[in-house]
Amino acid sequence: MKFQTAARNRWSGLLAIPAAALLVVAACGGSSNTGGGLGSGGLLVGVIAPFTGADAGLGPAYYAACLAAAPAINNNGGVGGRQVKCQQFDTRGEPADAVPAANQMIASNSNLMAAVGCTSDEAAAVAPIMDRAHLPMFCMTGQSEFNKSTLKYFHRLVPADVYDAFAMVGSALYGPNHSPYKKAALVFGDDIGSQAFVDPATKAFTHLGGTIAINQPIHLNAASYRTEVAAMLKTNPDVILTEALGSAGTYLKEVKTQNGGKMIPFIGSSATIDPVWFQQVRDAIGIDDLLKYYAGVDLGYTFSGPAYAEFLTNLNAAAAQFADAPKYKQRGSTLHLYDGIIMTALAMVATNTADRTVYNPKIIEIANGSSSATVVNTYKDGVAAIKAGKTIRFVGAGGQNNFDQYNNSQSGYILVSYDKDGNEVQAGQLTPDQTSKLIAAGS
Amino acid sequence: MDLYVAAFGFGLVGMSVIAIAAVGFTMQFGITNMINLAYGEVMISSAYVAYYLNKAGISIWFGMVAGALFGAMFSFLLNRIVYAPFLRKGTAPIGMVIVSLAVSLMIANLLLPIVGYYSVSYQDTTGGLLRAGGIVLTTNQIAIIGVAVVLMLLIHGLLRYTRLGKAMRATAANPTLARNCGIPTQRVIDAVWLITGALCGLAGVVAAMNSDSFAIANGAGFLITALAAAVLGGAGQPYGAMIGAVIIGMVTELSAAAWSPEYKEVVAFGILVLVMVLRPQGLLAKRGALAAAG
Repeated sequence: MKFQTAARNRWSGLLAIPAAALLVVAACGGSSNTGGGLGSGGLLVGVIAPFTGADAGLGPAYYAACLAAAPAINNNGGVGGRQVKCQQFDTRGEPADAVPAANQMIASNSNLMAAVGCTSDEAAAVAPIMDRAHLPMFCMTGQSEFNKSTLKYFHRLVPADVYDAFAMVGSALYGPNHSPYKKAALVFGDDIGSQAFVDPATKAFTHLGGTIAINQPIHLNAASYRTEVAAMLKTNPDVILTEALGSAGTYLKEVKTQNGGKMIPFIGSSATIDPVWFQQVRDAIGIDDLLKYYAGVDLGYTFSGPAYAEFLTNLNAAAAQFADAPKYKQRGSTLHLYDGIIMTALAMVATNTADRTVYNPKIIEIANGSSSATVVNTYKDGVAAIKAGKTIRFVGAGGQNNFDQYNNSQSGYILVSYDKDGNEVQAGQLTPDQTSKLIAAGS
Repeated sequence: MDLYVAAFGFGLVGMSVIAIAAVGFTMQFGITNMINLAYGEVMISSAYVAYYLNKAGISIWFGMVAGALFGAMFSFLLNRIVYAPFLRKGTAPIGMVIVSLAVSLMIANLLLPIVGYYSVSYQDTTGGLLRAGGIVLTTNQIAIIGVAVVLMLLIHGLLRYTRLGKAMRATAANPTLARNCGIPTQRVIDAVWLITGALCGLAGVVAAMNSDSFAIANGAGFLITALAAAVLGGAGQPYGAMIGAVIIGMVTELSAAAWSPEYKEVVAFGILVLVMVLRPQGLLAKRGALAAAG
């Protein structure tokens, strides 16, 4: 059966021209500069993340990182004089929207130096696309499929979700100010990213003597969770482990309502260390209950030192472009992506090229350093050291990085809570022995 | 068993919220022949109007009235400024659907920088907890059910016993004939946009109260639920929309109790698909748009 008509043939012919042109552009656009030297004109960092949809809270944290990193580079001579800019590419948290966003970002910007963002919502879809385009990327995904990633241009500055899950279980079993919880309700979003916590948390908690009262995948942004909460409360958990981003306020308020005005202790993943999450939950259950019943886990940040001081100054200054930017002063992903962009710029300077295939391997060298490397904390110091002929190790606002052969950088967890202003407060730390037990039980 | 009884109670709240939204949506379609995909965004815009008033210390119940007034004016202006000019140019129904989709996206993206992407909550909207025979509801949820019942009775009274209601039904059945019979159809259509817009605005506030916290992204979800109830009952049929709301509201909560809650919307929409296969015109569409059920 043939449906081809003369008109369609003409259109096909016409369409073939821009399609071929696109292919040529894509082929040529695989690298921002294939020759030597840093080139001229502006450089772009693509922030590819959800800015709308259920996970719309994630993108702004990454955009803030870029807005803070750009002046740190630009005010210190740029990348060989080239000024860095940031641009949002909205994935809506859906692979179907993320793929065209990634393609559009790559096809229409030959001056891309790096991409940041790519959360668990879309990383599996967009990371291979960016890798094929030889675009260094810093992804905020905890998915285990990236634990042994073979993508050369992929970089992950946060541990896999499995470690986040272990830390949450650690908080439940060894956390301060409470006896070990024995019966946990797992309340995670039904999206790919959130569900990655369930299996490791279940294994670790049950192998260490706990019981999973209920495992409740909830549909994010549902109108209500009344029946879900009623079902959860029937199982009488003594703690809730959760990462229900976007729906936490609705769910937790319903817990309080149906439980006669009393909250149940709840432990959040590192993604709950977020100003938007704090505000939502505070407004829903009240600040007193949030402070009393919430515990979280986070990577061990110091929020101090010269790198953090520069980050904070630039983040506050970024309020002129993005009013909410200063809110992300203690958001781990914001710190890490800021560092990722600085490291990329330093790698370009160190290799004296804007050719992404050349400077990409240098990023990890600068992050991990060597025994003889000079430790630098800012872009300015890094450029000065490189120009003085030294090899450098960049230790940024998020602390030291230690990339493995799969481009994953790991670090340890701390147990945290909030103060009344939404600042993170360290409540405790898992000992190496506890950490080993958790990993052994959950793996 | 207790969980099913509790879920039944929650279903009463859910169906009340859906009914207000779905009846407004289906009346808008039935009389103006306009599938307004911007309906969900008008709902969420109205919810934010109530939110800002509530934040300024005004009771949410006054906020609900303000949301209804805002929804009425917004919908009226939307029709006058955007939809009506397209209709006058003879844009085809499918073209009008695309126009309304574009309006929906424009409203969502215009609102985003104003209200932000994050969730917000009304203050003090929970009320006391009441328990009766396994049903656990807050006083405010009971009030929402009451508001929905009163509104449904008012809609019934409007359509069956008032001159405006009869004019609406005549306009829905045959606008040309209605105009030739001396019915001021343009004024009727204006009134329809105002009334259904008020229902839309009120539904937005009630849905936001029901959700405890809400964000700009919820607009699409509101639309889908209202659309599903309207289609299930028979497009353009207010009484059908009420029945559709009962089915979707109840099935959603009861299926969450019976199976994993992540499938509750799948079950509800599965029933919608099944009804559409067996009875494509919807449950009550036999008599035509806006005919009384019976």
